[in-house]
Amino acid sequence: MRDFIIRRLIYAIPTLIGISIITFAIARLAPGDPIRLFTFGIRDFTEADYQQLLHRYGLDKPMPLQYIDWITNAVQGNFGESLIYHRESFTMLMERLPNTLVLAGAALLLQLVIGVPLGVVAAFKRGTWVDGAIRVFGVAGHAVPAFWLGLILIIVFAVQLRWLPSLGMLTVGHDQWDILDRLKHLILPSFVLALTGIANYSRILRTETLDVLAQDFVRTAHAKGLRERTVVFTHALRNALIPVVTALGGVLATLVGGALVIEQVFSWPGVGQFTFQAAIAKDYPIVQAGVMFTSTLLVISYLLRDLTYAIVDPRIKVG
Amino acid sequence: MTKRFRTLIAGFAGVVLVATACTQSGGGPQTSESPGAAEKPQQGGKIIEGDTSDIATMNPILVNDTRSRRITQLIYDDLIQADPKTGEAKPRLATFSISPDGLTYSYEINAKANWTDGKPIIAQDWLTGLQIVGKSQLTVRKSSFKDIQGFLDYCVGSSTSGCKGTAKTISGVKIDSANPKKFSVTMSKVTCSAIIDLNGYILPTQVFGKYVTDTSKDEIDTAPENVKPTVFSGPFKFEEWRKGDQVIMSKNADYWQGAPNVDQYIFKVVANATAIANGLKTGELTFSILVQPKDLADLQTVDTLKIAKYPSLGYRFIGWNTTSPQAPGLADKRVRQALAYGLDMDSIIKSVVFGEALAHVAHHVPVQWAYPDIQLEPYKFDQAKAKQLLKDAGWNAGSDGFLAKDGKKFSLTISTSSDDQQNITTAQVAAEQYKQLGIDAKAVPEAFQGLVTKLTSGDPVLDATIIGWSLGTEPDPYQIWHSSQIPDRAKGTTGFGFTFFKDADMDKAIEQARNPANADCSVATRKKNYETFNKILNDQQPYNFGYVPNILAVSQKTLQGFAPASFATVYNVYQWWIKQ
Repeated sequence: MRDFIIRRLIYAIPTLIGISIITFAIARLAPGDPIRLFTFGIRDFTEADYQQLLHRYGLDKPMPLQYIDWITNAVQGNFGESLIYHRESFTMLMERLPNTLVLAGAALLLQLVIGVPLGVVAAFKRGTWVDGAIRVFGVAGHAVPAFWLGLILIIVFAVQLRWLPSLGMLTVGHDQWDILDRLKHLILPSFVLALTGIANYSRILRTETLDVLAQDFVRTAHAKGLRERTVVFTHALRNALIPVVTALGGVLATLVGGALVIEQVFSWPGVGQFTFQAAIAKDYPIVQAGVMFTSTLLVISYLLRDLTYAIVDPRIKVG
Repeated sequence: MTKRFRTLIAGFAGVVLVATACTQSGGGPQTSESPGAAEKPQQGGKIIEGDTSDIATMNPILVNDTRSRRITQLIYDDLIQADPKTGEAKPRLATFSISPDGLTYSYEINAKANWTDGKPIIAQDWLTGLQIVGKSQLTVRKSSFKDIQGFLDYCVGSSTSGCKGTAKTISGVKIDSANPKKFSVTMSKVTCSAIIDLNGYILPTQVFGKYVTDTSKDEIDTAPENVKPTVFSGPFKFEEWRKGDQVIMSKNADYWQGAPNVDQYIFKVVANATAIANGLKTGELTFSILVQPKDLADLQTVDTLKIAKYPSLGYRFIGWNTTSPQAPGLADKRVRQALAYGLDMDSIIKSVVFGEALAHVAHHVPVQWAYPDIQLEPYKFDQAKAKQLLKDAGWNAGSDGFLAKDGKKFSLTISTSSDDQQNITTAQVAAEQYKQLGIDAKAVPEAFQGLVTKLTSGDPVLDATIIGWSLGTEPDPYQIWHSSQIPDRAKGTTGFGFTFFKDADMDKAIEQARNPANADCSVATRKKNYETFNKILNDQQPYNFGYVPNILAVSQKTLQGFAPASFATVYNVYQWWIKQ
């Protein structure tokens, strides 16, 4: 197992280097330079001012040198000074991380609390209209674009009904610790973010439960005269949950990645919205830090998934 | 957000000619009531302004964007402000006078004006701001002060900037030894924009003094006070900046013009223009000046909101490259005039901004005092006239139906920023209408950053570009229209003169209004020069001057005293109040 982890970590290195080169190249090889963008039209802005700024940000060096400078600092946790905020990018990103984790955590909870029971119910009511409805919901949950659903929910629940807020994670001016207010702000974005996962889990659970229910040990449990509830919860569900547990390993990256869109729709001040705004404003250091962070998360997340597979199902050989 | 980045700088494709100074307003709104109406203001409540992007800094010398400027205006008061009607410089924190030779500006700061820590606001605080500009490596404001005697000896910068960094003081600034609130600034030559530029930055010496000692380098650029200021002179005090989310400010009860009526001012960042419209509808936002024309009809149906419209201080235009090798026709004035007559700007305004703009035919916009009173050619849509002008210029229809001259087809590429839908639509409509004149025109959106770099470096690949200018309080058009500002690829110099158009008379008019030989910086004299300048542009058409978009300021009806206008939004914020 230890060898497996070490090997996977070594494999991750070239992946991350590759990502870093692509990220850097996309950001820097785009035509034009950011100093021109920030200063376009400023009265009395001179060529001398331009040269000074170019030098100040190290943008006057050849591209490969810029990359080496950047990557050397990046591995030490310094992703460079934001062109707009003049502060270290990664630190700024991390300041936003708790907000994203709150959203992702709430979404994960919803996925499990709603998705798992839906799948089990669908399996037990197989062939009925309940099963049909849950399956339609499963397909729709996958098919509906998150940003569109987000906007529709804002119009219905915030603008029309006025039940829930339309933006942010706390009513402006409210106490930071107003938990009820925070929960209200969390409902719509976390539901939209969770939707794909809910659909996913309900589908997996339905298939797995049906699968398990058809197996011999379940029939044996029934034959022993155990109550239906005991059969379902102690025997069937435990086995049916294995794929859900393994899928959890990879869910973190999906949620943090998905939050990019959701945060934008709901003006949620997290990592995704921050990176998105930086991309629009051409603040490269932040974009690079954001992409590297998400990519690393993805790599770790997949590693975790493979590990949970190996732990939960001993038949899977690591290596 | 995308939209805001364009609109940030007042509604255009991300272009700015930022005023370094001055609040106050001209071109008043069409609806909202006058500030300080008859009712007695109620105390309390908060103002939440919606914006689509975060601020960048709270150090005024580093501000390059309008939203950071908003916050620094609220926490640090300005020395002078522009007249609401004319944009002329008027006293705010200080009274001023100019010596007969036009070289020395004398100021006296209001006796009542104090910092929030109780210390008086004094002349040294202005000097500290100027010294900070001299020390910073990040600021782009050094050139604004280069004509102050001794500034270049003091400031530190690259070899080409003119900064020598040899002096420990700025010889042109004299503080009255008897009255620390009085000071004078002497210029090395008469510069009419000085009255606006010298507004400068009044920063608390007790806080920022440590960055301008003899041994200071550019520590100011990363000073903690840039993101967490501690002492204030404006109507509001900074409390907290939740980055990317909101900036929270509380009222300065000791503000010298009177304590604000509201308790808090919050600058709230939301995702985009749609989120702003929703936030206004739900009451989560108190006001925003970034409402898009597409949302207007919807917001008009909400009875809790009121809408004010006023022309922005800028315009969107098509810039012609008069030396384009691909479209040599653009070198001919008649062709450029034909392109003006051949484009139905009124219909573009209707379709692109739902009628919320005014067709424009000169550089200065109507709300500026520099806008000429004389009649300018309005270039009303007239296809027949356009075709005739093209014919006069020697362009005749070829066998493929397109115009040609000397065997070369008239092709025209209209470039614009790929993330500005308004400009893309304008480019597409223009291309269609120019096809009707027989020109093989096409619209090409491209990344804004690349476009800007091509423009400022004078890349000959561009034929025509749709973009916008946001103008400042000071009307000097030198940076855009003086022939010295034309980029030169051979010499590697850059500039905003990307039409390559030059005219000796126009240069002269610009120079006289900027550095008059007789020291006459009066509005009347400068206006006369700008009349000449605008007349030449109107006739020569190096730009199709496009349109001046309206600003749509939408607020809750409960917000009283809110009277935004072209030159400013929050100039009278201490008088605003919330009706319970």
